[in-house]
Amino acid sequence: MTVEVFDLRPVLAPLVSFACAGLVLLLGSSARWRAAGSLAAAGIKFAIVWSMLPGSLAGQVYGFTFGEILPGLSIEFRVDALGLFFALVSSTLWVMTTLYALAYMRGSHSLRRFFGFFALCVSTTVGIAFAGNLFTLFVFYELLALFTYPLLIHGEDLAARRAGRKYLVYTLMGGGLILAGLVLLQFTAGTLSLAEAGILDPATDRRVLLTLFVLLVAGFGVKAAIMPLHAWLPAAMVAPTPVSALLHAVAAVKAGSFGLLRVIYNIFGVDLLGELGYGVWLSALAGFTIIAASLVALRQERLKARLAWSTVSQLSYITLAATLLAPAAALAAVLHIANQAFAKITMFFVAGAIERSTGRTGISELSGIGWRMPWTMTAFTVAALSFMGVPLLAGFVTKWYLALGALRSGYGGYVALLAVSGLLNAAYWLPIVYRAFFRPGDDEMSEAREAPWMLLGPILVCTGYVLLLGIGAQAPAMPFSLAESAARFAFGLEVPP
Amino acid sequence: MTALAEHGGIAALVAVMVPLAAALWLGIRRRQSRHSGLAVVLGASVVALVLTALLVAVVRQGQTPTLMLAAIVPPVRIAFRVDAFGALFALTVAGLFVSALIFAVGYFRDDERQWRFYAFASACLGCMLGVAFAANLLTLLAFYELFSLLSYPLIVHDRTPAAFAAGLKYIAYILGGSALILVGLVLVYHLADSVGFVPGGILTESHVPAATPRLLLVTLACLVSGFGVKAAIMPLHGWVPDAHPAAPAPFSAVLSGVMVAAGAFAIVRVLFEVFGADLLSRLGAMPWLSLLAALSVIVAAMLAIGEQDLKRRLAYSTISQMAYVPLAASVLHPDALAGGLLHISHHALLKGGLFFCAGLIAVNIGATRIGELRGLARLMPLTALAMTVLAAGLVGVPPLSGFLSKWLLGRGLLAAGGTLELAILFAGALLAAVYLWPLVFLAWLPAAPSRRALKQDIASRWMTPALVAVTLLSALLGVAAFLPGFPMELAQLAAAELIGVAR
Repeated sequence: MTVEVFDLRPVLAPLVSFACAGLVLLLGSSARWRAAGSLAAAGIKFAIVWSMLPGSLAGQVYGFTFGEILPGLSIEFRVDALGLFFALVSSTLWVMTTLYALAYMRGSHSLRRFFGFFALCVSTTVGIAFAGNLFTLFVFYELLALFTYPLLIHGEDLAARRAGRKYLVYTLMGGGLILAGLVLLQFTAGTLSLAEAGILDPATDRRVLLTLFVLLVAGFGVKAAIMPLHAWLPAAMVAPTPVSALLHAVAAVKAGSFGLLRVIYNIFGVDLLGELGYGVWLSALAGFTIIAASLVALRQERLKARLAWSTVSQLSYITLAATLLAPAAALAAVLHIANQAFAKITMFFVAGAIERSTGRTGISELSGIGWRMPWTMTAFTVAALSFMGVPLLAGFVTKWYLALGALRSGYGGYVALLAVSGLLNAAYWLPIVYRAFFRPGDDEMSEAREAPWMLLGPILVCTGYVLLLGIGAQAPAMPFSLAESAARFAFGLEVPP
Repeated sequence: MTALAEHGGIAALVAVMVPLAAALWLGIRRRQSRHSGLAVVLGASVVALVLTALLVAVVRQGQTPTLMLAAIVPPVRIAFRVDAFGALFALTVAGLFVSALIFAVGYFRDDERQWRFYAFASACLGCMLGVAFAANLLTLLAFYELFSLLSYPLIVHDRTPAAFAAGLKYIAYILGGSALILVGLVLVYHLADSVGFVPGGILTESHVPAATPRLLLVTLACLVSGFGVKAAIMPLHGWVPDAHPAAPAPFSAVLSGVMVAAGAFAIVRVLFEVFGADLLSRLGAMPWLSLLAALSVIVAAMLAIGEQDLKRRLAYSTISQMAYVPLAASVLHPDALAGGLLHISHHALLKGGLFFCAGLIAVNIGATRIGELRGLARLMPLTALAMTVLAAGLVGVPPLSGFLSKWLLGRGLLAAGGTLELAILFAGALLAAVYLWPLVFLAWLPAAPSRRALKQDIASRWMTPALVAVTLLSALLGVAAFLPGFPMELAQLAAAELIGVAR
């Protein structure tokens, strides 16, 4: 059914932004060049990635191999449904984030460094998405960790450096675990390919399999912020808002979740993992994270901190969905990459716009802001309703398939957990909406203005996507069927889950 | 008419979308123009009413127009289907909303923020029509949740601490209910691979051989209790007595008249078009529903008697009166169900009218407590007269509309062998007489010497006609109920469709 096609585009996509990053780093002291380079990179990559969608939907798998660096280790690009889905999300969001960042960062220091590394991050993210084997994925994953660091410490103050250090320690430790897993995997399976629905021999020693699972899951779990490996994420809130958006929606955390999906669906495979039963423990951990992180989020007074803890909770939806090992749940896992990303990036953009317009960061200071910045806060409300799982919005689609997958795999208890999680989401998002629209603002607030168009535009586009993802599953050029074929591939199904 | 029958689904979509579009327009324009905003919202609601009336005509010819829209979680779609039950409810909703909006023009005459009321009320109307026309449980939930959330700004419109407290209570109850409905919805799809409404049910044995009774009962419990929050079935009614006095009167009327009924509407859909009467009688859960409904009828009526605040008393009355619907449904008999469905419509107008009275009284003489109604008839004879008629209708005095629905319901209960339920029905009516009598009695007493003077008020020019229209309509529904296209015919048609017994 699938046809492997040799194509340059999988390698071109990361290279374009790589080249543009170089351009920005070289010539970026001029604002015009910086903007042109960043936008060109975002636009070209967006076009390249989307140009692969029709072929991929028709069952083509684009591939490109660089040959072996060491025996058995090659840099290989391969665009399957799952990878393309992730790349579509991140390249679409990158365009939005670039536009937003150009407006948001105006007047800040070291912008050449900022936009250069920004482009590098997205370049590596697409590299992760299109990696044809785990080695390639690992290389880009590590690069991403390094390239994010300069963005994180952009503020260059003590808090930023401390958060940056924490981030590096966590991710490098995660990287180390993955590396160990990589060696063991190469030794055990003889290949690192991500082209199969499972490469491990079921007859392998159980202890080896368990070690492999723990190493790889813990390694990717750091970025996917599974508790107790999550602590770097809330700390990373000190970064400027576009970076937070990048971390939380476009690149970093999603790379972790994506790695987990690769480990579960392409390394172990659902059959073997179901037999081994390791998934049960991981889903329990993910379930715990969903609830615990929400409870912490409830008590956060700073808007961005609440957003960060919500991310920790939402990422575990993906982990939970992946470990339930049911086709419907797999669909939820893939879809939630997009659903969480668009809703969360909307919220981060809103938080940034509020900070720009009013200088406020605390939730209790937001009284009455809804009538001063009506478009911005309406966008926030839509995103909040999406996280609560209101039908017709993106979050509902995830909840639906996840709950269905839980029932079909025999873990109906998780449906109740999802319901509770939805209520907790309401408990920490709705008070913000309430304050913004139903509380009278102070005098200073009455002078606040709606965000400028460069900030508002990306916000509204992302909000539009939240709505579109909620109702437009079968609209033309929506990647829903891509997610479907990814789920089908993992389970070897012929029909949609 | 044939063209309409063919494109009835589109008509339903337009009826849903026009009020929503009007709300959006008003939300974007905001306070720029009061009169054009009003005209747009009123126009949109009238358009919705006319379309609904046309759809009623289509349904009477035995057609069920359908319209499939986007698949939001393939293969489940957002879809509309107009059957007798849906048309009946939609007509009730649209009718009450139009009169409430007219009433609101007078009620809010000096309110700076009145456009918000019109915008959110208009959006609620669109979403409620969506509930009425929903072809499957997912569509129903989508619109149900939307109007539930959009009601919040209407409840807290006055921005008093009491309103915010009531709003918080409301939202907590409703979100809890929604979570339960969501669980139930996924369970239904898990069991039946479909969430569509089909007369006779989709969870029948041929479809779901593997479903255990326990799982079916859990599904039923989730859905009924989830929607039961809105339908104010005791003990899930806590938000009702707080939300009604807090909300502005035109919205209290809508809240009591059709929003609580939307919960009952959804329960009936779930019972007869998801589960089906056969399966329900096998599961044996109906006596429990009966019991809960009976308790709601009696206990809420007793609480109403003890309540001195006019709007709170009416709110308790709503809990009591709306419990007739699940009571009627629980005996699984078409005649009883027809009575219950008719009661939704008749109660909507009667209770809506009573809340209009409460609003007029509060605006004109500042009275909110029952003791302050003394001598009302001298000051506001028309309001007092309307209140008398409406109260009598609610108690069930023939030939008013309330009598008719209860008569039909009682006959059905008897036919189904539900003597105990029949006794509950009578007790409820008696208690209704007890809690409504003081209103009427005090109103017609000679005035106490020291009562407040009537404010000279132009507002009544808008409010009184709305009240009179609702009152006259209630009377008409009683004496001319057998006219074709009236709720009586639709209710019987709907009950026959739902239970599947020929008329």
